[in-house]
Amino acid sequence: MANNNLTVEEKMAALRSAYAQQLEGKIAEISDHVAAMLGASDEKAIAETVLAVRALIHKLAGSGATFGFKDVSMVAREMEDACNKSIEENKYNSEIGVYLNSRLDDLRKSSVHPDIRMEKPRSHENGDIEQGSIEDRTIRKVIVLEGDKKIQSQIVNELEHFGFLAVGVSHPNDLAEAINKSKPFALISDIVFDGDSESALKLISDMHGAGNLDCPIIIHSEIDDMHHRLGAVRAGAKNYLIKPVDMADMVNVLDLVTSDGDSDPFRVLVIDDDESLSHHTELVLQGAGMTTRALNDPMEVIDALNDFAPELILLDLYMPDCEGHEVAAIIRQQEAFDAIPIVFLSGELDVEKQLSAMELGGDDFLTKPIKPKHLITAVRIRASRFRELRSLMVKDSMTGLYNHTTTKQMIENEIERAKRLNHSIAMAALDIDHFKNVNDTYGHAVGDKVIKSLARLMRQRLRGADIIGRMGGEEFAAILSGATIEEAENVFNQIRQAFSEIVFHTDTKDFSVTLSCGIAEFPAFDSISSLSDAADKALYEAKHGGRNRVILAR
Amino acid sequence: MELAKILYVEDDPDIQTVARMALEMVGGYTLEVCSSGDEAIAKGPDFNPDLILLDVMMPGMDGPTTLASLREIPQLEKTTAIFMTAKVMPSDLQRYKELGAADVIPKPFDPMTLAQQVREIWSADNGQ
Repeated sequence: MANNNLTVEEKMAALRSAYAQQLEGKIAEISDHVAAMLGASDEKAIAETVLAVRALIHKLAGSGATFGFKDVSMVAREMEDACNKSIEENKYNSEIGVYLNSRLDDLRKSSVHPDIRMEKPRSHENGDIEQGSIEDRTIRKVIVLEGDKKIQSQIVNELEHFGFLAVGVSHPNDLAEAINKSKPFALISDIVFDGDSESALKLISDMHGAGNLDCPIIIHSEIDDMHHRLGAVRAGAKNYLIKPVDMADMVNVLDLVTSDGDSDPFRVLVIDDDESLSHHTELVLQGAGMTTRALNDPMEVIDALNDFAPELILLDLYMPDCEGHEVAAIIRQQEAFDAIPIVFLSGELDVEKQLSAMELGGDDFLTKPIKPKHLITAVRIRASRFRELRSLMVKDSMTGLYNHTTTKQMIENEIERAKRLNHSIAMAALDIDHFKNVNDTYGHAVGDKVIKSLARLMRQRLRGADIIGRMGGEEFAAILSGATIEEAENVFNQIRQAFSEIVFHTDTKDFSVTLSCGIAEFPAFDSISSLSDAADKALYEAKHGGRNRVILAR
Repeated sequence: MELAKILYVEDDPDIQTVARMALEMVGGYTLEVCSSGDEAIAKGPDFNPDLILLDVMMPGMDGPTTLASLREIPQLEKTTAIFMTAKVMPSDLQRYKELGAADVIPKPFDPMTLAQQVREIWSADNGQ
């Protein structure tokens, strides 16, 4: 596991943040028992809840400071002392409940540790923002086993443009050593060495079989026959590419064979006026790997929609200020959420009432209490269908980047959020230089490949939470939230440089292309129109200043 | 003699994780982590630890009872034992010592210095 490479400090920080995330739930559990204590009618019932609280609070007292929450330990200790006193004196009246209840707020406050709060990733349309510096991406090592030095260095260079750490190995005898140094992310290998087309495959097959080569293997060879293809499959190869291979294709294959099927967690908004119930629902869904947010006041639904961007809403039918079906109707009035799945979760057993709730905008009705497994399945199926559908609506089919309309919408959301959180945004407008020549000279298929390569490169170099859109033809836009214009300049200069070094191969000729880029910063330009205009104007300057450059709007 | 292997008994998974990190990563010790007294009694003889580290308050069999049972296993009769607990009363401390515990580490502990604390107690108990 990757965790093995973490330093003690990093691991401690991770543990601390995991603990911090659970604290709220633990305190809620204690709070539930205290509520039961206050509502208890006789001494026996009070005694039971005191014991339950003591068991939980004892754990908090003993663990809080270990995870950096000194005040949690302190407050919990005092609450534990009170429980112990009550137990020792066998005194179970309303006093203990009232005291514990009066300390719950202190406990909650002490659980909000400023350092931890800052470490928590903020929520985002694309899932959680990645930590680390703006140009920080996980380094992925690819071993290139290739006897021809020229081809080897060409592959190594170009893979590096795409953000891989490529290591060239010239002979199968040196493969084991290269793997031992650090575990590769993938192996790209030729099969002919010293005029022999069998030994290398045999070696790879043996290493793979023995578990010493535990990564995707891509064979890259001049030989195209059934015998060698079969040999490659038997050696564990995931793909067999015939030389010469266009690097864009090679990178696509690398992406495909190394994608582990993990996708962003589903985002579920739980609306229920009962905090402990919504919390329970959240725990069940989080246990299934989903990201959740609870909303106990339905009047705040619009903010929550925009801020959290859920993919499914679980809605309680009966709430004090505003009923579930009314909330559903309000959600449906928001254009961006008119297709989001809304699932009612309620104790209502009357089918007529269930149906009338669904007529007002609900998609399904689940009856409480519901088995966790049933809830998870119902949510997962609907959220995943919604995600597929939305992807068709919001993404550009060729590049997988956001389309023009969605990008505009997202820029607007980002600006709104930046205003609220008081942080900066860098917006970049990019355009491939002389793209029309590429299409005219080499045809549209090659042109498409160039566009896909740039899309791929941006996805590789930017953070997961940055928004990248294809605005049309060969024009792109990117929004880097929280980044300054200087940071963005640095990143886009790297992208520009890397893109210019990619060599595209065609039947007639090898060629390279460049790009121009303009960047503007929020809040220097503080509306969507002034920000995009400024970025476009800077791009125009970059074009007229000779292309292949990044210009900042000042 | 070197301190290398620690039998660690603790029911709270959060504390288990952080103590494991503190003792394995910071201290470099080999750990056998048990979530209950029963598990410790089952694993104790084969693991044959140089040190036993136990939480006091656990559901089911508590720390002191667990230690008393572990002491009946011949090779663990004299193994250094340390309790970890959030509450130490002077009377409790006396009782723990009578059970053969070398010392008590108060909870919450500091994960960065836990290994060192453990080592110091072990060294003192083993005359080093």
